[in-house]
Amino acid sequence: MRFDFTTEEKEFKNQLSSFLDEALPEDWHGPADESRDDHWALNQQIKRGLAERGWLVMSWPKEYGGADSSPMMNTIFAEQMAYRRAPGHDRFGTRMFGPTLMRFGTEEQRKKYLGSIARGEIQWCQGYSEPNSGSDLASLQTRAIDKGDYFEVTGAKIWTSLAHRADMMFMLVRTDLDATPHKGISLLMVDMKAPGVEVNPIINMAGVHSFNQVVFDQVKVPKENLIGDMNDGWRAGMTVLNFERSGIDYAAWARAALEELIDYVKSEDSEVNSLKSDPTVGRKLAELQVEVEAARLMCYDVSYRQGKGEIPSSEASMSKVVATETYIKVLDYGLELLGMYGVLEPGSNQAELQGRFFKLRMFYTSGPILAGTNEIQKNIIAQRGLGLPRK
Amino acid sequence: MDFGLTETQELIRSSAREFLEQNSSPEVVRVIASGDDEAISTLWKSVVDLGWSSLTVSEEHSGAGLTFSDLAVLLEELGAHLAPTPLVESSISVWIIERYGSDSLKSELLPQISSGEILVTPAIVERDASWDPESTRVAATQSDSSLIVSGEKRFVAFGERATHALTLVRIYDQPALAVIPIWQAENVEKTPLDHASGVPVCSLSFNEFEVGQSNVLATGNTAIEAAKELIAVGSVARSAQLAGLGRAVVNATVDYTANREQFGRAVGSFQAIQHHLAEMAIASKQVNHLVHVAARSFSRDGYSIEAAARAKIAASDKISQVCWTAHQCHGAIGFTWEHNLHLYTRRALAWKTDYGDSAFHQSILAEALGL
Repeated sequence: MRFDFTTEEKEFKNQLSSFLDEALPEDWHGPADESRDDHWALNQQIKRGLAERGWLVMSWPKEYGGADSSPMMNTIFAEQMAYRRAPGHDRFGTRMFGPTLMRFGTEEQRKKYLGSIARGEIQWCQGYSEPNSGSDLASLQTRAIDKGDYFEVTGAKIWTSLAHRADMMFMLVRTDLDATPHKGISLLMVDMKAPGVEVNPIINMAGVHSFNQVVFDQVKVPKENLIGDMNDGWRAGMTVLNFERSGIDYAAWARAALEELIDYVKSEDSEVNSLKSDPTVGRKLAELQVEVEAARLMCYDVSYRQGKGEIPSSEASMSKVVATETYIKVLDYGLELLGMYGVLEPGSNQAELQGRFFKLRMFYTSGPILAGTNEIQKNIIAQRGLGLPRK
Repeated sequence: MDFGLTETQELIRSSAREFLEQNSSPEVVRVIASGDDEAISTLWKSVVDLGWSSLTVSEEHSGAGLTFSDLAVLLEELGAHLAPTPLVESSISVWIIERYGSDSLKSELLPQISSGEILVTPAIVERDASWDPESTRVAATQSDSSLIVSGEKRFVAFGERATHALTLVRIYDQPALAVIPIWQAENVEKTPLDHASGVPVCSLSFNEFEVGQSNVLATGNTAIEAAKELIAVGSVARSAQLAGLGRAVVNATVDYTANREQFGRAVGSFQAIQHHLAEMAIASKQVNHLVHVAARSFSRDGYSIEAAARAKIAASDKISQVCWTAHQCHGAIGFTWEHNLHLYTRRALAWKTDYGDSAFHQSILAEALGL
């Protein structure tokens, strides 16, 4: 990318866009609520369609079901999916766990799991945070005891997105109580149907069941499900976070929401019809468009660097901060423009834009919090990126 | 300049806190937000019994005759406890009836409001969601002794429970402010809205609704002035609630971050979190001061539209931001439905836009500055 997409990248974007035109229901505004059976079915259907076309894991090597493409193709994929608020993109398997397995897994593990991720066959979830271990992840307490033939896992994970739909979880567990916190952690794969695994729903402030608490009571996990070396899980686990920390979804959601607002202001049907004549509205929307475009470019930069073999952790953190905050700015302005209508809950009589902006604003309050709070990201930027002293 | 409370105000504050701790707990707030009608009645009845509905009603009409400043102290506590009662709606209607009503209308309505026999709520906004009284479209025609009203008012708080709506209409080209009896009335359709304020809000659709001429409070320019004052007094009342809400959110966030440990220490010991909380505390104090200056400006002789605008601009923008920063400081737990923080955030967002958002009040202030 020399500040523009290649012909191949542009073509792919168009193909994906046409596929989504067909695959998404008419008048689809999303986002999908995966706790709803109809939305989950749509998720699975679209995921299969994407897998058939080889689009889920394009940047993976051919031998694992990929196309040896650049990370930029994945970013274009993620961006387009988010822009359409389309379900079917299994971020946990394709974006986080797969690449980690490629790097840290045995040949046998790679053969067994990577193909099924590429084919979109199993849903993964991520077991990291615990009730008392959020930002301070290394303090995690869920234990895996070596029982000779197997591990016995006991403890609880929390804020686990999609645990209620997942087949498998990759999770960080403590395997050595005596070692310093970072050194006694291992990375395990656990079957969500195993006896002793209990998934308890947590409803978020938008009123949606999006995440869960997952309790493990003496769950037997086969030895072969250990990834990397025993007590060396922190390194592998953090690699996942490096893959996770891209803001591209947020940048795309922000762009979609901004365009929706611009259309709304132009529309003849909007109830709030004073908007067109107010010059400050146009200026503010223009200001937001600058932010949205800048956020998008920050995210492209991350995948450009990944494509060159770098691990751009500071840039990834920057993109996460910028994109999550930009999305919120757009949603906040949406509520402001909608005025009295902005505070009607989804499904209310007389709601404008189906009350979507209010719900999205509630939902994406989590953006600057999850996957490493923006405060933690800023520490990374200052310390790893700018080389400032840690203390 | 005295930043302290009067003896009466101290008394109001402490008794309000005691009552609201008990009667406006998060459980009550949640039950009412989910539509429990009986819980609203129970709370409102207790509020009336405490004499809060008659606080600013003049003594000659069976009220306590207290000032708007005194009321603001009470409303701050109501905001801090998210109390789901129509006290703001009732008190600001009282204010306007006192200021603009004829003697006969005052003698008829005010004692009944004081005693809780009737409940008056403002109905100003229409489809275009504008708080500008000039944009009123709901029309009335005049016959001998009555008005015939047709059209829709939106976002009427407690509209399904109120006995009367303080409504701005147009009689041909003339604006008029009238107290319209809507309780169990025919020819008024009520459409419930699912509103972030956590109290019942509805639209009122009048279809050739007949109102006695004696219910008209003001007409012509006076009606516009009265409507402007209603919006100003409403905006200061909402700002007072927001001030209390902001204070409560700052306190709750201090508590949480002082106790939640990560990395072997309280998260509140990290500079990033301390700076968030310092900003929240500054904002909350700024709003508090602006609100009390604005409330002080309201008297039986007039008010400062600039002070009211300043209070609402600051309260709208700063307190909603206080809530969002509180979410950031709470992390994932504050993002759950089970945690009470979102109850505050929803209220702050609803009150932010109610009685004019900051853009609306900025225009008023700019005009007052001669711009």
